[in-house]
Amino acid sequence: MKFNPLTKEIYTDKGKFIKQMSCPYRMNWDDLEKSTDGSRKCVTCNHSIIDTEFLSDDELVKMVKQNPETCLKIDLNQTNIKIVTNGFLEQK
Amino acid sequence: MAFWSRNKNPKGLRIIKTARDEKSINKAVKNGFRAIVLKVEPSLEIRSKFSVIQNKKTGEVETIGDYRTSNNEEFETVIDWTFYYPYSFKSPFAAYLIPKDIKVGERVYVEDLIEDYIGASWNQGDAYRLESCEAIWNGENLEILYDESNNRSNFMG
Repeated sequence: MKFNPLTKEIYTDKGKFIKQMSCPYRMNWDDLEKSTDGSRKCVTCNHSIIDTEFLSDDELVKMVKQNPETCLKIDLNQTNIKIVTNGFLEQK
Repeated sequence: MAFWSRNKNPKGLRIIKTARDEKSINKAVKNGFRAIVLKVEPSLEIRSKFSVIQNKKTGEVETIGDYRTSNNEEFETVIDWTFYYPYSFKSPFAAYLIPKDIKVGERVYVEDLIEDYIGASWNQGDAYRLESCEAIWNGENLEILYDESNNRSNFMG
């Protein structure tokens, strides 16, 4: 998995676009209610937020394809991700 | 305006918009907003890194941003690790657009911060801007309610 923290775009290792994170909130993962399946519940939207740390690219692609509104959590330090930053983020 | 721009915020607070050029500021002023004009000043603490590698056979280049990217013998480094300020703004100043009916002490949600605050950072030295934050109107300025615990290494959305 690849992640660009500037654009918040997520890609597979092979460069296929998966999703762009678009949540304006700055939630604290540690404060969110844990669910039995490992996800956490967003107190604002009531959505489940899926931790990507233990997901393969295929699992993630499938999950987002089934529900494009799936909320994800990515930690820059997680081991299954490479950070890509390319160029500038232009404010409009 | 931040790229995600949505008309909502965690607590239903009034949203303060940002105008990022002279024309937009003046348009808002004509529509009754008060413009709080600030310089756009990049913080030295906000930075991202890159390195460029080049395929020895094809000449194609690839940008990498993570020390964990494994070395590949087919590539050679043509630009070594370099930190830079990764945001660009179309004007060196911008303005928060304050509605006329705002009350002193009103808590608001600033959608597109002009000032640089660290929103995320990680253990390889990169730090990224906080895009939005709550603030309080004190009658003259917005007091940005930046909480250092906002500086985390995770992203959600």
